[in-house]
Amino acid sequence: MKRTLQDYKSVIEPVWCPGCGDFGILISLQRALMNLDIAPENIVTVSGIGCSGRLSHFMNTYSLHGTHGRAVPTALGAKAAHPELTVFAVGGDGDGLGIGGGHISHASRKNVDFTYLLIDNQIYGLTKGQTSPTSPFGVKTKTSPHGVFEDTLSAIPIFLAYDVSFVARANGVDTKSLTEILMEAISHKGMSIVYILSPCRTFPLLDAKGLKAILQPLPEDHPRGDKLVAMERAYSDTPIYTGIFYQVQKPTLEDRLQGVIKAVCDKTNGGKKYSLDKVLKSFA
Amino acid sequence: MDNLKNHSEVDFAIRIGGEGGEGVISAGELFAQVAARTAYHVFTYITYPAEIKGGFSMIQIRIRDGDIYSMGSLVDYLIAFNQQAYDQTIKDLKEGGTLIYDPDEVQLGNDLKATCYPIPLTKLVTEATGSKLGKNVVALGTLGHLFGVEFGVLEQLIKDRYGAKGSDVIKNNLAALKAGYLAGEENKWEHKFQLEADLEAKEHYMLISGNEAVALGAIAAGCRFVAGYPITPATPIFETLTDLMPKVGGRAIQLEDEIASLSACIGASFAGEKAITPTSGPGLQLMGEQLNLASMLELPLVIVDVQRGGPSTGLPTKTEQSDLKFAIYGTAGEAPRVILAPSSVGDCFYQTIRAFNIAERMQMPVIILTDQSIGYRKATVRIPDLTKIIEVDSSKPDAEISIPSPEKIEIATRMLADPEKLNGYKRYLDTVDGVSPITSPGLEGGQYLSGGLEHDETGKASSFPENHLKMMRKRFKKLETLSDILEKNPPEHEGPDEAKIGVIGWGSTEGAIREARLLAEKRGILFRHLHPKVLSPLPERQVRNFLSGLKQVIIVEENFTGQFAHFIKAKFGIKPIEIHKSEGVPITPEEIFNGVEKVARIVDEKNIARL
Repeated sequence: MKRTLQDYKSVIEPVWCPGCGDFGILISLQRALMNLDIAPENIVTVSGIGCSGRLSHFMNTYSLHGTHGRAVPTALGAKAAHPELTVFAVGGDGDGLGIGGGHISHASRKNVDFTYLLIDNQIYGLTKGQTSPTSPFGVKTKTSPHGVFEDTLSAIPIFLAYDVSFVARANGVDTKSLTEILMEAISHKGMSIVYILSPCRTFPLLDAKGLKAILQPLPEDHPRGDKLVAMERAYSDTPIYTGIFYQVQKPTLEDRLQGVIKAVCDKTNGGKKYSLDKVLKSFA
Repeated sequence: MDNLKNHSEVDFAIRIGGEGGEGVISAGELFAQVAARTAYHVFTYITYPAEIKGGFSMIQIRIRDGDIYSMGSLVDYLIAFNQQAYDQTIKDLKEGGTLIYDPDEVQLGNDLKATCYPIPLTKLVTEATGSKLGKNVVALGTLGHLFGVEFGVLEQLIKDRYGAKGSDVIKNNLAALKAGYLAGEENKWEHKFQLEADLEAKEHYMLISGNEAVALGAIAAGCRFVAGYPITPATPIFETLTDLMPKVGGRAIQLEDEIASLSACIGASFAGEKAITPTSGPGLQLMGEQLNLASMLELPLVIVDVQRGGPSTGLPTKTEQSDLKFAIYGTAGEAPRVILAPSSVGDCFYQTIRAFNIAERMQMPVIILTDQSIGYRKATVRIPDLTKIIEVDSSKPDAEISIPSPEKIEIATRMLADPEKLNGYKRYLDTVDGVSPITSPGLEGGQYLSGGLEHDETGKASSFPENHLKMMRKRFKKLETLSDILEKNPPEHEGPDEAKIGVIGWGSTEGAIREARLLAEKRGILFRHLHPKVLSPLPERQVRNFLSGLKQVIIVEENFTGQFAHFIKAKFGIKPIEIHKSEGVPITPEEIFNGVEKVARIVDEKNIARL
């Protein structure tokens, strides 16, 4: 029996503010999973703290709403332990680029085969409007009443520099394109980041109309394997490109772990796993 | 305990001291290996500087024809590589003991009541190899000769140890070994003890450190996931597990910090795996937020804290028992967890298995508190009989799962929800014992939300006052359940019932307290000794039974403020005398005995009832 959207929706009704971009992201994710026909019981959704952190509540998956900034290493643990699962990390700009920013590069080095939805609304929305790492220079927020004086963090070039094996930017309001990008990200073997711009209606630094005006899909012939072209387009601010900037194939964490298991067992035990007896006797 | 002997034919200690980087510890460990191949038991104690090279470094090896409980107090043999080693440790050489020293490096003091054997380590190694490296191997040769070890045995050890480093390294080391051995032979030194290989004994014993014992315990418990970040003195657990995990088909991952390490363990446990992370105090502190989360999500996992001297960076390479309060209480809000404290190298193996059993069954994080002294201590441990390892069915009641011991090792797994009855499944169902059946990814219909926000029985976030109280009760009920189980265990104290003094200790001090008790007994002072392995929750009735009839309680611990004493005082309202040692080195049987003796005098003279 074909799965329906309903199969991916939990019994909990979303609590975001009316008009929040996160609604579109939630439905796009559920639709992507439905299109790929992935069984809900084989999905783990780990989220951090913030408005976007609530996303895991609304998914009928094995969902873990963890601590601030730690969605990436938590999801890594689930995927490493059970590689057959489809695993998501979800978090916002504060969660992923502020408090948890240090984890991305290391998950990337391991090329953990999961999809990270980094949802950027340029503000700390849940705590009611404080400056985030992506708040535009000069805007007034509750913790920058005289205007933000720091430079704005550019996420895509960072992910490219970290060598994340799949890097995309998407407009959260454009659910059709987002669903397509998510389907590619989920199907990608390795770590995929989908960096999603999501308007906040309550503290509106981004709005749907404004987004539409500044965003433009990457050219049809954009070479996904060319990091320098990707980097150049990642830095462009007029237009701001959406789509898949970069995609390469390299061994996943699981490939690497299996490689170690095979190498050590081949070399020292004729290809077999060690028994507990053999382990203990090696200390005699 | 059964073959606790007060008199022993063979019981002596050797200490080698020198500069960090001179190979003092590796020479000592090789010698300990020789000793472990005899019928005797071996126990080592290591102290090393935090610097990579330089600073004072030493290893003490105690050899006895029975169980060994501590490193002992004074040594019978002292090998001093340099003046600093001599100056710092000559006070610990027994009267009439043997001093082996490098005459080109060490100036002897006056009134030395010891047999002194000069051996020019630097000169010998330079003559033998043309290099100053390898003084330690010369010393190993000398020691080997002194204890009648066959040269071939030593030669094989060197080949095993340095084989991977190429033939030149082996050649030089063997030349150094020979020089040391011959020096002993030529000088006709007195042989007091003979260390003869006993191959049968070797077969049944491992010479392992406490850190290795924890790693092996985790493997035996069925843990196949470790995530960690290097930190002294816990690193050897992680190193051992990163080596062993792939061999048994498990996964070992080094993360970018301790927060990420515990996060990964949470993810792995959520996915259904038994997970462990080894760390030390500063790492445990970083893990606080995720420890909190694991408790709130009710996920089983094991954290090992090999305690070191604090606060802050403190004394990374020295021992202390000073993370207890943080382990019991340290988190935002109130989050139940269990604290275990193994008391010997062998116990590290069994308590680690027990930690997994408790974590799986009580669905909460278990923190194992060891310390540098037990982590780096090596001891001969009998290889457990693998036929005694049984995985127990998840329906077996918690109260019937035995404490892992050489006689029987039961391996518990988590209590899974019935796949046939998932309709209306509530992950956080409020049950009689507080433990709710769990599901893991892959099980259709078992999906649930697990969150750090306060939640109701289904997992849905809820901040209603009555719900918060209900769920706090539910989570803490699991500690009561465990405490009730602990009450039914055999009492964890030893010593005569008629004793009026009771000594309470925890963790690595067990051996020293036990030896102090035997020493006191010889001098006519009796005391009872309580050494709980589970520190929190405590089986309160058992502790009260221990306390009843005592006139004075002494609490011994290696920290500055008396952390366990605070805990005991708050729980039982007693006024103990506290012995704290906060110097970065383990407390000795003599130090404990001296304290007990003073207390005994007061109890005797004034006949006071302090309790």
